[in-house]
Amino acid sequence: MKKGTSTAAAVQAAPYVPVDADFQLKNNFEEIGIDSNFSAQSFWKDVITRFFKKTSAVVGMILIILITIMAAIGPGMNGYTYSGQTLSEKNLAPRVKGLEKLGIFDGSETMNTTRGSKTVNNYEEKGLDDVYYWFGSDNFGRDIWTRTWEGARVSLIIAIAAALIDMIIGMSYGLISGYFGGKVDMVMQRILEIANGIPRLVIVTLLLLVFQPGMLTIVIALMLTEWVGMSRIARAEMLKLKEQEFVLASRTLGAGHFSIIFKEVLPNIIGPIITQVMFSIPTAIFTEAFLSFVGLGIPVPRCSLGSLISEGFNSFTTHPYQIIPPIIVMALLMLSFNLVADGLREALDPKLKEM
Amino acid sequence: MKKYTLKRILTSIFTLLVILLVLFILMQLMPGSPFNDEKLNNDQRAALYAKYGLDRPIIVQFFHYAKNMLKGDLGVSYNISKNTPIAQMIQTRLPISICIGGLAVTIGAIVGLLLGLLAALKHNTIWDSLATVISVIGVSVPSYVFALALSYSMGFRLQWFPMLYNARNALQSSVLPSISLSMFTMASIARFTRSEMLEVLGSDYMLLAESKGISGSALIFKHALRNALIPIITVLAPLIVDLMTGSLVIEKIFAIPGVGSLLVNAIQSNDYNVVISLSFIYSAMYIGIMLVVDILYGVIDPRIRLAKKGD
Amino acid sequence: MRKSKALVALLTASAMVAGLMGTSTAVMAVEESTSDLNIMLETPVESLDPQQATDGTSFEVIADYTDGLMQMDADGQAVPAIAESYDVSEDGLTYTFHLREDANWSNGDPVTAQDFVFAWQRAVDPAVASEYAYMLSDIGQVVNAAEIIAGEKDKSELGITAVDDKTLEVKLNVPVSYFLSLMYFPTFYPVNEAFFEGCADTFGTSPDTTLSNGAFILDEYEPAATVVHLTKNEDYYGAENVSLPGLNYQVIQDSQQALMSYQTGALDLTLVNGEQVDQVADDPEFMTIGAGYLWYVSPNMSAVPELDNLNIRLAMTMAIDRDAITADVLKDGSIPTYTAVPMQFAAGPDGSDFSEDQEKFSDVCKYDAAAAADYWAKGLEELGISELTLDMVVDADDAPQKVAQVLKEQWETTLPGLTVNLTVEPKKQRVQDMQDGNFEVALTRWGPDYADPMTYLGMWITDNSNNYGLWSNEEYDSIIAECTTGDLCTDAEGRWARLYDAEKIVMDEAVIFPLYTQANAEMMYSGVTGVEFHPVALNRVYKNAVKAE
Repeated sequence: MKKGTSTAAAVQAAPYVPVDADFQLKNNFEEIGIDSNFSAQSFWKDVITRFFKKTSAVVGMILIILITIMAAIGPGMNGYTYSGQTLSEKNLAPRVKGLEKLGIFDGSETMNTTRGSKTVNNYEEKGLDDVYYWFGSDNFGRDIWTRTWEGARVSLIIAIAAALIDMIIGMSYGLISGYFGGKVDMVMQRILEIANGIPRLVIVTLLLLVFQPGMLTIVIALMLTEWVGMSRIARAEMLKLKEQEFVLASRTLGAGHFSIIFKEVLPNIIGPIITQVMFSIPTAIFTEAFLSFVGLGIPVPRCSLGSLISEGFNSFTTHPYQIIPPIIVMALLMLSFNLVADGLREALDPKLKEM
Repeated sequence: MKKYTLKRILTSIFTLLVILLVLFILMQLMPGSPFNDEKLNNDQRAALYAKYGLDRPIIVQFFHYAKNMLKGDLGVSYNISKNTPIAQMIQTRLPISICIGGLAVTIGAIVGLLLGLLAALKHNTIWDSLATVISVIGVSVPSYVFALALSYSMGFRLQWFPMLYNARNALQSSVLPSISLSMFTMASIARFTRSEMLEVLGSDYMLLAESKGISGSALIFKHALRNALIPIITVLAPLIVDLMTGSLVIEKIFAIPGVGSLLVNAIQSNDYNVVISLSFIYSAMYIGIMLVVDILYGVIDPRIRLAKKGD
Repeated sequence: MRKSKALVALLTASAMVAGLMGTSTAVMAVEESTSDLNIMLETPVESLDPQQATDGTSFEVIADYTDGLMQMDADGQAVPAIAESYDVSEDGLTYTFHLREDANWSNGDPVTAQDFVFAWQRAVDPAVASEYAYMLSDIGQVVNAAEIIAGEKDKSELGITAVDDKTLEVKLNVPVSYFLSLMYFPTFYPVNEAFFEGCADTFGTSPDTTLSNGAFILDEYEPAATVVHLTKNEDYYGAENVSLPGLNYQVIQDSQQALMSYQTGALDLTLVNGEQVDQVADDPEFMTIGAGYLWYVSPNMSAVPELDNLNIRLAMTMAIDRDAITADVLKDGSIPTYTAVPMQFAAGPDGSDFSEDQEKFSDVCKYDAAAAADYWAKGLEELGISELTLDMVVDADDAPQKVAQVLKEQWETTLPGLTVNLTVEPKKQRVQDMQDGNFEVALTRWGPDYADPMTYLGMWITDNSNNYGLWSNEEYDSIIAECTTGDLCTDAEGRWARLYDAEKIVMDEAVIFPLYTQANAEMMYSGVTGVEFHPVALNRVYKNAVKAE
């Protein structure tokens, strides 16, 4: 692309001298050179092929799968449970069998006291020779390893439920509103404005106060508040596309509204939609984390990544190892969702194929 | 266009009224009462209800409140700051939230746009990955963790900026909270800009513009960015309102006397008037910004303008 | 396009800078002084109206700039303040206070007996609906207070009269042994009527609408502000003994920020949370201060038939390892408590702590897993059930949630068949649920309002609005009546002994499961001396504090 630009500039500046670059194909990506017969493949098979060609997307996918597997089996991998407390074994730093001989994960921690810092190994001080907390233990003596994966499980369920509902409701709403325009759009947008004009916090807190707090209530609360962003994207895209020729063509050919909206327009805007879905996942997890921060998240002693971060937050300067595992898992989860989203987006984009 | 704008403004006012009514109804659904401290007896509670007119039917309360609101009277606080006129409370707090939020939006939008552009223009290079990594960190780490990390490093260790908000030194002490707040916006904008720019850059009209010999910066800013802006504005607009109306966690950490923590406290202590007033201000800002965005669409994209003329 | 965008950005930025400048000039008037005492507050001030305020923070700030008739000395005893001297009639029913001649408000008006009459009448006025009105009626037993609160009499009939400008006479229904110690409670503080009327409805909402007659003058405050500043009152009658040039309060809700600020020297006095105690325990500036609050579990005996069974209740209270809660979870110096009246606030006629002996109810309240299991088995058998599920309502704050999680774990491991679900709610809603009787078990707390065991024991009489478990015991009611309005009013020793009898009934019946007496872990800069800490009424008094340069 850069080459093309400079050539164009050169043409303007100097008298015309034909060069080789004139006869190169514009946007000559590698794919064009590949001699594959697209017509022989179905659209989705095509998408999959392209998706797996992108390393970052595959890495993201593997990470998601790994975290999901760990969320499923992680809590059962040692003898601890997510709620079982051993107060005599609280605030122990990470210690892993084998690794401890290398000087890492040996259960010692450096404490920054107001009188200077000191290194202590609470396992040795308390005579807990055969005790191993892989990620350490929290201030109730609960195993952070178990709680992290249990939290990942809860967060994943909440996030995916929220994202799916978000996508289905928000997208349909936005597409319909944008497509019909005029009075329908006006009314639908006013409803949306009212729903969104009331601070999310007020609605969510109210819901959680009226109903018993729990996973279902949190998902419902997120559902009621998260779909708006998606519908706005879908509507904006629809406004951009609906005057275009291919929509007009379908309409002239007698396609119904439903088929135009969901068969013609939808595939063309899947990129922004997926990007938005991927964004609604961290938003969902964050909203849950925020609720934990206010004290209305998943009820104790259950935990989510967000509530673990909120809990570890109080020990951030004293026992930083308590907040690090949930943050890392959360960040990895977000990273991989983003990478997969990117990969999917490029794989799905029919325009790339045309080039 | 003028007719359209006028119509939008009128409907917005109507929407606001509906929101006010909905807020009133929501307050009725709220469990608990503002006057249920352990030390009050039932007679006193009834007296307090009568004193503040909370014993009247909801619709009477609504019209009474709406009437007072037109006169600029938002009622008094029941709990958070007893009997203080809410207008007085908001007067001192809202500007602080708007300043810090505004600073955060500005930082977030500018840095995010630049990062996104860089990533799109240098697609599939190390720059792209770098921008992606920065934006992923921005969306994956909660703002309070940033806040504490910034406060610990730049405030406590290096002592570059004050750790706590201080009205005597507002500009300097707003730096850390604004940066912590801007991370999410920055990341969102960066990712969205990248995704939109990639799409636009790959489109036929860009090819056309390029082959017509339009040079680098004009091409990107006049043609590509302009087309990518619609979805970006759509994402940015609600973020602006969210940031300007204060963030509970950031306010809590940096001891900022803003409206975010006020709203949360009010909800938790059933301070109805404060909840209604703050929510209403939020709604007004939100609807105002949505109005501006809708009109901006028309300015940026002539096709939408045409479509609206048809109304 | 680009130019206009830059322009917009520039405009926005400059507008914001202007805004920030605007806010900063507004408070420039107050000079920052390093020799001020810098104090961290956990919660903002709720009200500066002495008759409306209810929380410790507000009380502390009000008391910084207002003196009542009496004040607390370092040991919590009532000593004269605005009242130079007082006379008590033989029957103990009439108190006559003689006010100081040199006590003045900061606007120059003298503090008169009428200021007290006006304030006390406000406190009982049903239209004001002061939360602490019962301090005058049930507790203080001021003549006609109860009738006025109930709307049966006019507030002018309250048993307080200004004999002249400097003489105040108070009449009581029955003798109240601790009446003088109520006089330092902010509800009894004077209000200048002319000034109050001049402020219309805005009294106590800004420095301009507050009037000082105390050691400091409020000069920076906004409703629910995060910064409150007071400067020494040079015209204060005791000004020569006040050495601090000012007090600077900073509300910081995040304890880590507070500790970091303390370490940089920006704060002289700060709270630390239990997690941070590990960090600061070796520091000589670290200390724990009793906060007075008793935390306890309240079982709803009327709504849950299983909890009506005494063995079940005894099992639950004996299954609690209180030492583990305070030592391993709270870590802030809170003291395990096995009595219905907490320690360290009520001293008897002989000067000893009412609850000093924590083992006097050890047959019904101590940690004994085996005994608990026995009681549990017996209780289940009596009820004919094998398992029980209880919901416990808990405040959405940090400490209660922690304690509740440990309680759940301890109960479920010690008592087979018991499942406890935690319902976390904001405090307002939890209180509402308890008032409506809509709870099974609740984790709650109570702070002493005055230095007498009655502030706790008065709660469990039949039909008291704070008797959430709706427990009722005739013998108990009669003992309490005897001690408040009956024969024992004037017999301090006899009353004290009867109060023990009452407490014993509460404990034997396991009406509540006491947990711990709250303490606060604090850091105080080593150059500061003379700050007085109290578990009752005014938690911190700075009048005599000194800060070394």
